[in-house]
Amino acid sequence: MIITKDLRKIYPMGAIDVKALDGVDIDIEKGEFVGIMGPSGSGKSTLMHLLGILDHPTSGKVTIDGIDIGKLTDYEKTLFRLYKLGYVFQDYALVPELTVSENVCLPAMLRRDRTPEQFTVATREILKEIGLWDRKDHVPSELSGGQQQRVAIARAMVNHPDILFADEPCANLDTENSQTVLNLFAKINEEKSQTIVMVSHEEWHMKYFHRVIRLRDGKIVDDAR
Amino acid sequence: MGKKELKVAFLLSLRGLQRGSRSSTIMTVIIISLCFTNMIFLPGLFNGIGQSITTQIVDYEVGNVLVSPRAGDQYVTDLDATLDLINRMPGVERATPHYTKGATLKSGGRILSVGVRAISPSDEKYVSPLYTKMIAGTYLGDGDTGEIIMGKTVAGDASVRQEDEFQPSLGGVRVGDSVTIEYGNGYTKDYRVKGIYFTGWSSSDSTVYTTMSDMELVEGSALDRADYITVKAKPGYSEKFIKDELQSYGVSEDVQTTADLLSKGVGRVLQSFAIINLVSLIVSIIITTVVLFIVITIKTINSRKQIGILKAIGVQKEVIMHSYGFQVIILALFGIIIGVTITSLMALYMSIHPIVTPEWSAYLYLTPLDMLINSLILFGAAVVAGYIPAWRVAQEDIQKSMRA
Repeated sequence: MIITKDLRKIYPMGAIDVKALDGVDIDIEKGEFVGIMGPSGSGKSTLMHLLGILDHPTSGKVTIDGIDIGKLTDYEKTLFRLYKLGYVFQDYALVPELTVSENVCLPAMLRRDRTPEQFTVATREILKEIGLWDRKDHVPSELSGGQQQRVAIARAMVNHPDILFADEPCANLDTENSQTVLNLFAKINEEKSQTIVMVSHEEWHMKYFHRVIRLRDGKIVDDAR
Repeated sequence: MGKKELKVAFLLSLRGLQRGSRSSTIMTVIIISLCFTNMIFLPGLFNGIGQSITTQIVDYEVGNVLVSPRAGDQYVTDLDATLDLINRMPGVERATPHYTKGATLKSGGRILSVGVRAISPSDEKYVSPLYTKMIAGTYLGDGDTGEIIMGKTVAGDASVRQEDEFQPSLGGVRVGDSVTIEYGNGYTKDYRVKGIYFTGWSSSDSTVYTTMSDMELVEGSALDRADYITVKAKPGYSEKFIKDELQSYGVSEDVQTTADLLSKGVGRVLQSFAIINLVSLIVSIIITTVVLFIVITIKTINSRKQIGILKAIGVQKEVIMHSYGFQVIILALFGIIIGVTITSLMALYMSIHPIVTPEWSAYLYLTPLDMLINSLILFGAAVVAGYIPAWRVAQEDIQKSMRA
C-alpha cells in the first residue's frame, strides 16, 4: 500500500546539511497498524510527513496505492490527502471556532462525492462511535485534551481514509486518556481493517502495534512485526 | 472552486467572526466605519460649502438666469418691455430688476459707504427668499418710499465697539431709526429703517434695499433701466432652456445661466474644492487599505498554524483564502453600514446646525450616489487589502505553516 524507495530528506542548516532521513525503504501493507518509533531527532515525524504528503523528499520515491506521489501537482496532492488520507496531530489541531460536529464534518463537506445528508449521517455515526455525540455543539475549548483528541480522530476517520496517520497523538495526554485513544485506534484498525501509521516514542504503546519501525539518525534500525 | 468549497469558506469565515476575538471584530468594523466617514466627510463638507455658495448666489445675486447689459452698455434699457417679454416666456417664474446706486449712509455719528439696491419688492419675492430673512421689522412694499431695509452687517451691533468691528457698520441701527443717505448724484434724504434682515450671504447682508419707486425719486425721473434682471425658473425647467428661450425670443441683452457664471470666479473655487476632495479621497483609500491590510495580515499570521493544518487535512488553499476574503467582505459591509449611518446622522445634524461663517453657511452635502460610490470604493479597497495577505499565507508551505 505504501512503498518508499531510498527516501532522503536533508535540511540545510546554514553551512551544514542535516540528514533527517537517510535512505529509507519501507513497505506497509493494507490493514497494518504500524508504529514508527525512535529517539528525538531520529526522523520519525519527518518520515510520517513524507508518507502523509505533508512534505516532499529531497530524493527518493513514495508510492501509495501504486501512485507516485512525487508526480502529483499541489492541487492533486491536496485532493489525495482529502480523499485518501486522515491525520491526527499531537496538539489535536482542531479549528477553535468550529463546534465538535463542524470540525468532524469539515473534510467531508469538501468531498464532491458526499451529499449534505451523507456527511451529516457520517458525522453523527462517528461521533456516536467515539462517545462524543452529546458534545457535538461544544467548541474545542470546552473539551478535555482526551476528548479533543478523540474529536481529531473522528475528523480523520469521517472520510473513511485508506490510511490514517497519527503524529504522537498521545504526547499531550495522560495515561488514561492515552489508553482511550490507543484503544480507539486498535478498534478502528481491527473492525475496519484501517491502515494506521503512528509515530510514538512511548515504549508501552508497542503492544498496540502490529509492526514497529525503529529509526535512528534517519535510518531504519529495526523493522519488527 | 465549486459551490461546496465556497460554502465551506463561508462557514469558516462566519464562525471565525462569530466565535473568534469579538474585540478584534468590533475594532475592525469601527476602523472601517471611521475610514468611510473620513472618506466622505471632507468632500461632503466642501460639496456643502459649494452648494451653499451656489444656492446663495442664486437666491441673493443672480437668480437662475441673469440678463445683463450688452457689452459697451451700462444698463439694461427699455426695462418694462424687456420684463414683460421675459415674464411671458415658458418656464419663467418671474423676472425682476436690480438697480444699484452708490451712497453714503449716516447715522448716530457713523458714516458708511454702501450700495443701495433698488428692487421691485413683490416681484423679488418670486426670485429671492430675502423677504423670509427679516430678523426685525418688515419687508418692503412696492409703493414704499423713504423706507429701506438693510442687512444685519450694515445695521451693526450697539454692543460692539467700532474699533472691534469685523466689518464697518452703522453701530446698531434699529427698526424705526432714521438714516440719512447721500447718493452719488447729490440727492440726500432721511430714510426710516423698515426692516433688518440676515441671509448668511456676506454680500447681501452688506447691502441696503429700497424700492424702484423710491429710486425714481432719487434719479428724478421714471426708471426704465436696470443694472441687470434676475430670472427665476419654474420647477422642472432648466436654466439652459430659459437661456435658449430668451435668446430665441429676441432678448438682445447678455444672457447667462448660473452655471455660466459659476464657471468663472466662483467656479474656480469649486474646482479647487473638487481637487481637494479627490486628494482627500485618495488619502482616505490608502489609509483604509493599509489599515485593513495590517489587520488581515495580523489575523492570518496568528492563524498560520491553523492554516497549515487545514491544508494538511485536505482543505484547498483557495478555500482558506476565500475564508479570510469573506471575513473582510462581511467586516467591510458592517463597517460601511455603520459608516453610512454615522455620516447620515452627521448630515442630519449639520442640516439643522450648519457651520456658519461670516462668508457662508455650510452643511454636509451627501447624495445617495456619493454614498454608493464611496461604499463601492471602500469595499473594493477592503477586498484587495484582505485578499492579498490571505493569498500570501495560503501559498505557504504546509510544514512552514504548521511549525509557526
